[in-house]
Amino acid sequence: MTDQVNDQSPKKHWRLSRRQFFKGAALAGTGVALAKAGVFDLGTAQAQGTTHFLSGPTADYEVRTMCEMCVWRCGVIAKVRDGKIEKLDGNPDHPHSMGNLCARGQSGLMHTYDPDRVLYPLMRVGERGSGRFRRATWDEALDFIADQMIRIRDTYGPEAMIFSSTHNLSQPLFENLLNAYGSPNYGTQRSLCFNAMVLAHLLTLGIQEPARRYDGMNYIILTGRNLFEGISTSESKQLMERIAQGAHVVMLDPRFTKTASKATEWLPIKPGTDLAFHLALINVIIGEELYDHWFVENYTVGFDELTEAVIRYTPRWAGEITGIPEATIYRIAHEFAEAAPFAFAHPGWRTSNFVNSFQTERAVAVLNALIGICPEEGDCIFADERSVALGVPPQPAYPRITALRLDGVPWKYPLVPLKLGVFQEIRDAILTGQPYQARGWFFSRQNPVLSIPDRARTIEAMQRLEFIVSIDTILNDSSWYADVILPEATYLERYDPLHSIGNRVFIRQPVIEPLGESRSALWIYRELGQRLGLGDFFQYLDEEDYIRQQIAPFNVTLEQLKQVGYFDVEVAEERERRWNTPSGKVELASETLRNAGYPAVPVWEAPPEPPPGRFYLLTGKVGQHTQFATQNNAYLTEVDYRTRDLWLHPSAAAERGIADGDRVRVTSDVGEIEVNVWVTEAIRPDCVYLAPGFGHGSRGLKIAYNRGASSSDVHVTYTDPISGGQALTQTFVTVERA
Amino acid sequence: MAQKKRYAFVIDPARCIDCRACLVACRAEWNTPPGQTRIWVHTDGPQGTFPNLSQTYVPAQCHHCEDPWCVDACPTGATFKREEDGLVLIDEDACIGCGLCVNACPFQARFRNVQTGKADKCSACFHRVEAGEMPACVATCIGGARLFGDLNDPESTVSQAIRGRAVYRPVTDAVNTQPMTLYLSPPDASAVQVRPTPRDPLVAETFWHAVGLPLVKLAVAGAFAGQAAAFIAQLLKGENEYEDA
Repeated sequence: MTDQVNDQSPKKHWRLSRRQFFKGAALAGTGVALAKAGVFDLGTAQAQGTTHFLSGPTADYEVRTMCEMCVWRCGVIAKVRDGKIEKLDGNPDHPHSMGNLCARGQSGLMHTYDPDRVLYPLMRVGERGSGRFRRATWDEALDFIADQMIRIRDTYGPEAMIFSSTHNLSQPLFENLLNAYGSPNYGTQRSLCFNAMVLAHLLTLGIQEPARRYDGMNYIILTGRNLFEGISTSESKQLMERIAQGAHVVMLDPRFTKTASKATEWLPIKPGTDLAFHLALINVIIGEELYDHWFVENYTVGFDELTEAVIRYTPRWAGEITGIPEATIYRIAHEFAEAAPFAFAHPGWRTSNFVNSFQTERAVAVLNALIGICPEEGDCIFADERSVALGVPPQPAYPRITALRLDGVPWKYPLVPLKLGVFQEIRDAILTGQPYQARGWFFSRQNPVLSIPDRARTIEAMQRLEFIVSIDTILNDSSWYADVILPEATYLERYDPLHSIGNRVFIRQPVIEPLGESRSALWIYRELGQRLGLGDFFQYLDEEDYIRQQIAPFNVTLEQLKQVGYFDVEVAEERERRWNTPSGKVELASETLRNAGYPAVPVWEAPPEPPPGRFYLLTGKVGQHTQFATQNNAYLTEVDYRTRDLWLHPSAAAERGIADGDRVRVTSDVGEIEVNVWVTEAIRPDCVYLAPGFGHGSRGLKIAYNRGASSSDVHVTYTDPISGGQALTQTFVTVERA
Repeated sequence: MAQKKRYAFVIDPARCIDCRACLVACRAEWNTPPGQTRIWVHTDGPQGTFPNLSQTYVPAQCHHCEDPWCVDACPTGATFKREEDGLVLIDEDACIGCGLCVNACPFQARFRNVQTGKADKCSACFHRVEAGEMPACVATCIGGARLFGDLNDPESTVSQAIRGRAVYRPVTDAVNTQPMTLYLSPPDASAVQVRPTPRDPLVAETFWHAVGLPLVKLAVAGAFAGQAAAFIAQLLKGENEYEDA
């Protein structure tokens, strides 16, 4: 079993005490300095120590802060002893944790005490990708970055510099940096994740991230939303509460996930046909007049056009396409409508599956609207999460940007919001040099080498660039190709801008001093801004000053905020609902879509199917890891058993002479991987599944390096023309014994 | 006088999502060595054939039995059942790491800690409980599958959780240690951590009780006597100089 790697490597070091570990971490940093021309080799150490059984661990003090092991931002109470983080607990006062933390949240201290932390600025000394770095001072590293960015701006224009970052609290400052610098090229994870969901809900409801409400819900349709493995603590908790109270949960997924095992019924739908299922529900609900007449008449436009369009989408029609019995679809349509208003179809989150995923999301939004999305006026099941308007430091206007965006928005993707972008197109534009050649890439807390499909192509693109800079806490696969790596303090060591949920504003604050010379993003962006002559865009003295400016409008001091962890603001109740769409109503038919040349109402689009002998390659989260970022966390790798294998149905395995545990080769049009196989009934015979995030190539990661395989090696790049979302399930693979 | 507590775990496998947050919480709380865990979530994997499948996840840990065989097996009294609340704990100072308790537990809930060489197992995070918190695994459980509390307190979460519900103890006809874990559905998983399996006493164990233990007691007594004699001698001799190495 591949678990051996995990089992053995930490064991070698168990004798180290915690004190020794800290010494080890410090030495590791020194090692970087000494290994001037050698292969990058951080020392290995394992945070270990023993706690006396009868006395139990104790804490000197507690700090209230916020988790960042994923983007859900749970409230954390950190216990500290002798200057070391002992334990993290969920904060009951925080609406996203409700007192709990998931496995990733619990493992947070090992994120900070990861023996592979980058603790000093590093500058590349060998070939790009060789992993040869030397230690640099902050001044040297920052000056070098500023020089390169100024050189690129003066030689090629600011648009030759690409910036990219993934959802985080300091992102507004990163965006400040790139906007002030003047580049239109900004890549985020969004097109690899939720473009389809966000754009569909914007066009239908005028809401970009519909909040999900569970109170009293009796009927929930989950379209691939695997809430017990793609965990959002409070939402996962609420779903379990509803299940325990007897709510009916319909789970559509080609795979028997942990959520499927808890659902009332699991429907192993054919990949890419969720759209047909939802269109058939709409067909029945309209055809049999099960919809909310009051809501449809008062709050929607385009009902007649929708009615006409869905006449042909009968349950029989959908049954043939989806593989779900006609009678089941018909029954669910009735049950769903009858449960209204205590029913909803979950919009999903990572909806980057097929080129028709946008239409699927449109159908979900329309379905919810039909059964009456607001049971009472102003009491909408789907409402944007409200947030408090915090203070901001003063700053000048951004320079006007005229260059085309490399990601094709809007000139190639007219409907994709500027904010969402099409990340995978940026990678391809580096390789084609069209519409112009990019020269530099600045990424912060992101791992595009693993997140964008077709890893080989992404690495090729990086090799084309003149300059790459990365901000990270460890040497992830993308940082491995950087010229400069700036070590960021982890979330337990730094301040970030405040975060508001509803009328409550939360602080992330340091639990301990940053290890090594790692610094906060707030500090790094300000330092860089000043060196680039953009200091006016970063008018704060330090992290605390930034937060003081954020809370200036409110009657609270930083000291109070740090003590309690949050403060409450009076927010006026917004009783009247105004749909933020062009018509001011829920758009069952969208003129925006029609004007762009697309169907105004949700329509069936057949997704591609694998040719004979090939499988759909499914992706999807496991509960112990976050995307591509946590696979080097020792606590998590101890509990991620049975997550790295390729799932294969017994019938497909038998045809190929494959047995459980065999090594298999998975081949797509762009690459191949070798991986261990789990022969299981828990997947459709026409599909295989591989969890993302394994198979790291950076040798700076002692645990994650070469552990499992990365689906990014085989994922083919397909982009949904409407939403710009990457179609991650549209990769078809062969599987054979290796 | 305060009423005695009767601590118990109440576990609802139907609420367990196998997220393993409890495993990491326990690991972080107690710093157990990699590969050695005080608690488990057992699953037999998906049962049935596609598409008619089911899967259960069954959390388990030391059951803090009312009739703890580990306490009987312990030659030194290091493993004991706490009078005031029923928790089965280990006095590491008294533990000699002989491993007899590990073998005696019909649930394999114990192990010898490779760092300390001493017996180790779930302590119900008694230090957290005494501070008014829940054990680490219970506190972080997203699904609410793991509960802990005082059965003698009718308002405790465990008392409320089992009210009007059938509860199942992990026992068999052959083995009944009166575990203080109450499952809200039959713990039908095959794992030994859930279903008790008594193990044959080792030859070594029999030998230990017949010969080894008396010898050890004798040796300990002898060592004590020797120490006492040396101490008295030292007292008589007066303060002596100590040198730093």
